Amino acid sequence: MTLLSVEAVTRRYRLPRQALWSPPPVLTAVDAASFTLEAGRTLGVVGESGSGKSTLARMVMGFERPDAGRILFDGQDLAALPPAALRRLRPRFQMVFQDPYGSLDPRRTVGWSIAEPLRATGAEERGKVAEALDHVGLRPADAGKYPHEFSGGQRQRVAIARAIVTRPALLVADEAVSALDMSVQAQILNLLMDLQDELGLAILFISHDLAVVSSICDHVLVMEHGKTVEQGAVAQIMRNPGTAYTKSLLQAGGLL
Amino acid sequence: MIEAAGLTVELGAGQAVREASFVIAPGDRIGIVGESGCGKTMLGLALMGMVPDAGRVSGSLTVDGTQMVGAGEATWQRLRARRVAMIFQEPMAALNPIKRVGETVMEPMMVHLGLGRDAARARALELFREVGIPDPEARLRQFPHEISGGQRQRVLIALALACDPGVLIADEPTTALDANVALRVTQLLVGLAERRTMGLVFISHDLAAVARATERVMVMYGGDIVERGATGEVLVRPRHPYTQGLLSARPSPGNMRATAGRRGRLPTIPGSVPPLAELAPGCRFSGRCPVELDVCRGERPPLRGTMICHRAEEGA
Ligand SMILES: Nc1ncnc2c1ncn2[C@@H]1O[C@H](COP(=O)(O)OP(=O)(O)OP(=O)(O)O)[C@@H](O)[C@H]1O
Ligand code: SF4
Ligand SMILES: [Mg+2]
Repeated sequence: MTLLSVEAVTRRYRLPRQALWSPPPVLTAVDAASFTLEAGRTLGVVGESGSGKSTLARMVMGFERPDAGRILFDGQDLAALPPAALRRLRPRFQMVFQDPYGSLDPRRTVGWSIAEPLRATGAEERGKVAEALDHVGLRPADAGKYPHEFSGGQRQRVAIARAIVTRPALLVADEAVSALDMSVQAQILNLLMDLQDELGLAILFISHDLAVVSSICDHVLVMEHGKTVEQGAVAQIMRNPGTAYTKSLLQAGGLL
Repeated sequence: MIEAAGLTVELGAGQAVREASFVIAPGDRIGIVGESGCGKTMLGLALMGMVPDAGRVSGSLTVDGTQMVGAGEATWQRLRARRVAMIFQEPMAALNPIKRVGETVMEPMMVHLGLGRDAARARALELFREVGIPDPEARLRQFPHEISGGQRQRVLIALALACDPGVLIADEPTTALDANVALRVTQLLVGLAERRTMGLVFISHDLAAVARATERVMVMYGGDIVERGATGEVLVRPRHPYTQGLLSARPSPGNMRATAGRRGRLPTIPGSVPPLAELAPGCRFSGRCPVELDVCRGERPPLRGTMICHRAEEGA
């Protein structure tokens, strides 16, 4: 079943005018990107920084509207939904960011932060927070601790617990493992796969690291300067990269 | 030439570096790898005489024959200016946000080499060219926030090279960078080390970058150098259980281990690096090691060939 359908989505930013008499330059951050994501599957989006990956993620999350094209979540056009309807839909798609420290309030217990998406919908809390902590391999008692009492990898687990506490159908992970040590990275990647198997989660996995993407994704979309330069099955693209750009991404991450 | 023998950094809570011994000769390129918190930065700081105030350094560390353990700050300052330089892990912290980057690079040359402004400026320009900064004259006048991450790392490299050091210590120089940019910065560092016959200590948990940048590698866990050897050898045929664990956790389709009825998972090293105070007195890796023996926790494994491990005899 198609959960997410992105149809020729484009997003432009107007840059500051360089001179009074010249029109402001326009940057096309995402240029006619199209893909579909099935329930329970993982799609990787790779590219260098500035290639438009995060802009794409923000549009999928409904934080930003596309200038052209449509994003359908469960068949509903996000940009066409009235705010109240979008809010009701929100618990079904959640996001995890690169910097778990920045996304957790340092003055609140992690239990409070994890419950945040629940409060937004008025759903009951305690049992669900404990359950989410358990899912990510932390203990229910950890709910009473503060972010600084955790290691980087544990904080990312907390951020994931918050993202899954509403039992979403879609998780958007933007460079979610990039700041982590290799061994912790492997633990978090495994966790995402476990959650996917248990909860039937679909994941839009954004990363600049093709090796990471290849280990967790079935399909991948390669972006360069806003344009989709290649998309298809991961194994196929790894074996036979179709563009010099993809090849350079492959080489850059290779060992010897 | 740097020679460390039994170099130890004690930090109150415990030993962040325990009896490290190695030699760095001119032109050597050495990698230091290991998980976060294993003492890589602390070892680099010890080579710079910059361990935190609460730290105590013991053992022996000689630089070009001079014993530096117990040396005064004045001796260290002379050494830092001319012999050993470091690129720090937090790139923004090393650059003064309200100072043009050209000024920052010129300063050590005026202070330590006694160059006048014009001479320092000319040399800064030359360095910017050497490290591949495009449009170097304009860059000299820019502020740190006006420069991209990759270019900023090049500015820091130029700064570290200002007084022509014999050894450059680069702490996670590529970690914050994109794969392609990281590759270019790595190539730059290798080229510089070769052209200048400069020693390079490349600290990183990015194994791909270490594989490219270095000829030898030291693997650190819990403050110990647990395995060492030729980079190509250690990263391809790791012998220490910790190194083996690190390498097999590398995300790649080839490393996935499938179990019945579900798709593959990456092998992991269970748990995480404990805080200093909780490190085992014997092998630091005991408690996480999949092939641990009874003696491991209490008894320190001896150095056997290229690694310290009680299993070394069996050719683990
Ligand atoms: N200023 C300090 N005071 C006390 N302990 C410290 C201090 N700085 C680091 N440590 C401890 O020393 C040990 C080694 O830390 P170090 O920063 O050298 O690790 P690292 O290998 O460089 O890690 P990373 O990959 O995260 O940079 C850790 O247990 C750390 O918590
Ligand atoms: S000494 Fe023992 S615990 Fe340590 S790495 Fe070797 S086998 Fe494992
Ligand atoms: Mg460090």
